[in-house]
Amino acid sequence: MEVTKVIDVELRGIMKKFQNNVVVQDFNLQVEQGEFISFLGPSGCGKTTTLNMIAGFLDPDGGDLLIKGQRMNGVPPYKRELGMVFQTYSLFPHMTVAENIAYGLKLRKIGKQEMQDRVKRVLELVKLPNVADRYPKQLSGGQRQRIAIARALVIEPSLLLLDEPLSNLDAKLREELRDELKRLHQEIGVTTIFVTHDQEEALALSDRIVVLNHGFVEQIGTPLEIYNQPASEFVHTFIGKTNRMEGEVIAIDGDTLTLRTTGGLLVQATGQQRAFALQQKVVIFVRPEKIKLSDAADTAQPNRVKGHLQLASFLGSYTECEVATGAHTLSVKVQMSDKSAEQEAGKTVYCQWNAEDVLVMPVERG
Amino acid sequence: MNKRLSITLLTAPAMIVLLGVFILPMLLMLMLSFQDENQAFTLQNYTLFVQDSFYVEILWRTIRVSLWTVLATLLLGFPVAMYMAQATGKMRGIVTMLILAPHLISVVIRNFGWVVVLGEKGWINEMLMKLGLIEQPLRLLYNELGVVIGLTDSFIAYMVLAIATSLYAIDPSLSKAASILGASRIRTFFTVTLPLCLPGIIAGTTLVFSLSMSAFVTPALMGGTSVKVMPVIAYEQIMATLNWPLGAALAFLLLGSTILLVTLYTKLIETKRYKEVFAS
Repeated sequence: MEVTKVIDVELRGIMKKFQNNVVVQDFNLQVEQGEFISFLGPSGCGKTTTLNMIAGFLDPDGGDLLIKGQRMNGVPPYKRELGMVFQTYSLFPHMTVAENIAYGLKLRKIGKQEMQDRVKRVLELVKLPNVADRYPKQLSGGQRQRIAIARALVIEPSLLLLDEPLSNLDAKLREELRDELKRLHQEIGVTTIFVTHDQEEALALSDRIVVLNHGFVEQIGTPLEIYNQPASEFVHTFIGKTNRMEGEVIAIDGDTLTLRTTGGLLVQATGQQRAFALQQKVVIFVRPEKIKLSDAADTAQPNRVKGHLQLASFLGSYTECEVATGAHTLSVKVQMSDKSAEQEAGKTVYCQWNAEDVLVMPVERG
Repeated sequence: MNKRLSITLLTAPAMIVLLGVFILPMLLMLMLSFQDENQAFTLQNYTLFVQDSFYVEILWRTIRVSLWTVLATLLLGFPVAMYMAQATGKMRGIVTMLILAPHLISVVIRNFGWVVVLGEKGWINEMLMKLGLIEQPLRLLYNELGVVIGLTDSFIAYMVLAIATSLYAIDPSLSKAASILGASRIRTFFTVTLPLCLPGIIAGTTLVFSLSMSAFVTPALMGGTSVKVMPVIAYEQIMATLNWPLGAALAFLLLGSTILLVTLYTKLIETKRYKEVFAS
């Protein structure tokens, strides 16, 4: 049975420049109703600029922006019926929590009784039912951000925009509020666009992620697609730590590629998305968590290399190791559940990994 | 020696100077205001003020002129402060310099400049008459309007800088938040920007009011003999009539009224909420 998708936001070839500097180029995207979508990228990649265009604080220099099927170019923010949460909380310091939340309702001329009910309900939703009469400065950072979320949600916006809402919080609170955002989204189902430079946040929260770099969309996909089938070297390296080796294809046997790195290491790779030719120059990636360390060589494993364990940093749930193998220094992540987790620097180890955990990409031009 | 004590001691030279040249003379003047010509104690200098409607009218005029000046500097200065708040650092510096630049010139010279501009044959009247907009020259000098124009020019810088300082402190994302919640620009101004720069407005208005109440040069030069204010008649009593006790009494009446009005005004504005929001 075919279910027709409802598109809440559509970007058609959006372009933005500041003076002669193009900061967003040819951005095409359809956001479905109820979807949680993240714009992920380093600072200056155009993610916040795009969000500001959707909000109406900036106008695109090219392309069309549609919200609920209506063209929004040139429509001021106060006529767009959106909710937005800012990095700096942006609560009105001269208003109590209740007044902050009621601000948008007052502008919509909601009756007093209904207003009080809705403020009460949304405060319960963000689990802060007892702070209505306090001023923002009497709240902690995490509480302020919850109130900012409540203020954005109470007007029942057609779209919720989150501009790095977690980056001003310390690590523990950030994780807590991240889960809170996920719970809220599951409960309310409001279409959400989330801007972040933190790949973990994006992976944890999103239905789909848009990876941006220098104003270009590098890839749009689900977190799993982004992680496992990166469209470019940038996406793969941005989304997490990785080992990068350059080399060339020396043998192709059906699904299995044999590669030789510039350091002379032979690597086997299987199940690649892309097709390669013999002698093609390639880049070879292996994630640190895919490499296993052992004291003895497993001769059944073709991908193995002997090395010297230079550095072992115990980080709680895992240990991060650095192994020098002559031509390449490999980064290895050993999970605590593993018996070999207690690593000591200075010993000789074998690094081994499966052929299907190797990602091969053509060398990018330029 | 603890740190706080040593810092307090560092203020000693300034305190001694203030005591010698400000507080002591003030006390002497205060004593003088309660003396008659035989240096005996009397209240006559103060009772005279209440009995003679001439003096009451002058005090009222002083207050009126000061209030108009406050209003004019506030209305003219606010947009300038808003401009400065949204300008880049470099532009902010240039505007601050432009606002302060006139203060490099003596107030006497600046006031004479206004006389040239506003006089019956001044270029404003000449231009308006040439354009046929008026037949008789407008009276822009030697009346309360002239004094207000002069005082506004003298004190607008204080208003602009006080308001700009409090505007700088407002997080720019607050107006974005208001806008996305549905507030138009005007609405955002009245519900977010204006309430949040209240400390600056209070500072600017009290400063300009106090300065206008005690201004002497501008009312003397631009008000002429017909628009006398408290500082001018106090000066006349002391320098021309040589009635020092009455002059001193007038000066203290002016000081007392200013303090009273400023206190009432700030008490009125600084409500419980204001204190809760702006207390550091």
